[in-house]
Amino acid sequence: MSDGALPRVFLVDDHALIRSGIRTELGDQVELVGEADQVEAAIEMIIERIPDVVLLDVHMPDGGGRAVLEGVISQQPTVKFLALSVSDAAEDVIAIIRAGARGYVTKNIEGPELIEAIHRIAAGDAVFSSRLAGFVLDAFASQNGEAEVAPPPFDPELDQLTVREREVLRLIARGYAYKEIATELTISIKTVESHVSAVLRKLQLSNRHQLTKWATERRLL
Amino acid sequence: MTVSERGFTLIVPNAGSCQTWEIIKAHPSSKKSRSKDQAAPKKAPGRPQRPLRRSADNCILGGVCGGIAKRFGVSAKGVRVVAVIAALFLGLGIVLYMAYWILVIRQGEEKAILSRTGSDKREKEILSVGTIAVFSLLLALEILGFNKFGLLTLFLTLTALGALVVWRGTSSPEREHLHRLTNAIATLGSSTGEGWRGVALRTVVSVVFIIIGLSNLSTVSRRPGAASGVVIGATTLVVGLVVLFAPWWIGTVRGLSKERRARVRAQERADMAAHVHDSVLQTLSLIQRAADNPVEVARLVRMQERDLRSWLVDPESFGVTSDPPTTLAGSAFEIEHEVEDCYAIAVEVVIVGDCQLDPAVLALLGAGREAAINAAKWSEAASVSIYIEVERERISMFVRDLGRGFDLSEVPSDRQGIAGSIIERMSRHGGNAAIRSMPGAGTEVELVLPLKTPNP
Repeated sequence: MSDGALPRVFLVDDHALIRSGIRTELGDQVELVGEADQVEAAIEMIIERIPDVVLLDVHMPDGGGRAVLEGVISQQPTVKFLALSVSDAAEDVIAIIRAGARGYVTKNIEGPELIEAIHRIAAGDAVFSSRLAGFVLDAFASQNGEAEVAPPPFDPELDQLTVREREVLRLIARGYAYKEIATELTISIKTVESHVSAVLRKLQLSNRHQLTKWATERRLL
Repeated sequence: MTVSERGFTLIVPNAGSCQTWEIIKAHPSSKKSRSKDQAAPKKAPGRPQRPLRRSADNCILGGVCGGIAKRFGVSAKGVRVVAVIAALFLGLGIVLYMAYWILVIRQGEEKAILSRTGSDKREKEILSVGTIAVFSLLLALEILGFNKFGLLTLFLTLTALGALVVWRGTSSPEREHLHRLTNAIATLGSSTGEGWRGVALRTVVSVVFIIIGLSNLSTVSRRPGAASGVVIGATTLVVGLVVLFAPWWIGTVRGLSKERRARVRAQERADMAAHVHDSVLQTLSLIQRAADNPVEVARLVRMQERDLRSWLVDPESFGVTSDPPTTLAGSAFEIEHEVEDCYAIAVEVVIVGDCQLDPAVLALLGAGREAAINAAKWSEAASVSIYIEVERERISMFVRDLGRGFDLSEVPSDRQGIAGSIIERMSRHGGNAAIRSMPGAGTEVELVLPLKTPNP
């Protein structure tokens, strides 16, 4: 994670106030390579500058963060996205993750946590806020390993969480940091990260129809 | 302007007979080149142009007169005068106009109206049904003895059918043109119309209609086929009155609906303003007053944020004092709000699954609430996380803070908070409570409630 060079970060948000707030919080902990407040300009500049991590506002005019994500990933699949939003709506969270973002944090995140999340994303890991972990557990909940009337998973490898992944997610949802999770489960931080990345992959690739259904049903919160 | 005058004078003497049209069509009166006039203003006739089309840029109704004028290089105004005169005599002019309208292709388009209508199965059905209905009605009237309609009725019927075809088959640009036209005609002469000329035209037309109608009605009794006279007279009279009063009536209706829309919008704006005033502005002034107390400011901001969110999600039920929640999730969020408001700490609630409330679940929530309040009071942490997971056979709840923590062995055993409100409350309902804390490393309270009846 810390190989000397600071991660190059690009910031996309349509509110100037939020952008300046984030800029202040990031300080000199990352290298800010650019900002954009519109979808099209953002796509153009990101492809031109190829940052390590894009901090992406989910709610913007002209298609929102998702449009930026899709526009960039189709041409530059190596760029990683961390979604940043005031919205905690499950459908927004799930949609942006499934579109390719590697993490989701809310805008009231503390500065140091945000910086840590950026470094983690830059290193190729996934970042789940406690709320996102709760959403994932909820979405995959109907297959608790117990006898269920739910239809059998389409692809068991993708449509189910392992016991360990479930434990990790539960601890994230309880507010544990990765280091604390590692201590609690007596595994290394790297292992925690690989579990979270595996969950992210399942979340993005799983065809579970419940996932989308669940997200749309759960409109509140 | 010799050209237009020539076109005009040439045709007018023949006006009045329907043959005029034939003359224009068969013997273009002005075949010779008029290249000198090519640069003349748009309205002036130019060189004869093939093929025969309806005009799109020089049209009042269907662009028929404009098209003819263009084809033969004569003045459109002249053609229009002829057409109006032809229409007044016997009505044949109208029928010819209609025929031209639906049979000739509009400039810039590919198909005539009739062929466009005819190529669509549904349109064809509508058209044939309409035709059959109209002619059966005519036949019925004929049999019933209203046999005074004669040629005029036939022409009017054909015109009506032509209008039906036009209505069903026009292309969208032409439809737009007609739309504008009907809108303009309806309000011609009203305050927004074209001034006195519009009023004069409208008045003349309506007076003519009214006079015809009245004279028809007044001569009724002396004629044998009285009924048809009554029908025609009354209809004409009504048409005249409608023509006369339509602009004012339409104007009133439009004004009313505009006024209603404006009222609705004003109402919405007032609601919005009231809400902003009651919530955001109030909170801002409170924040200003509490500016030197960061804890209070944070509390106010959180309260306002929650308030705005719930208003955005469901503005209808906002402010309505809702019933107490009936589910675990609803109840948990109430605890979140209460603790945030009373103890100036951020509470993050994550819930997986949900279930209905019963005494045992309420006890669990009560114990969790107590734990959260303890964290708020003693931990000095900025936030407390609550995680609730509803499984098939149990509900677990974790309340965690990263505050200063404490040494469990040093807590006096008679402390009501932990012993009574958390541990005993859980055990009364068959559940467990475990408290883990270390000085400097925060506190976590784990509550587990086994369910007697498994959740679905």
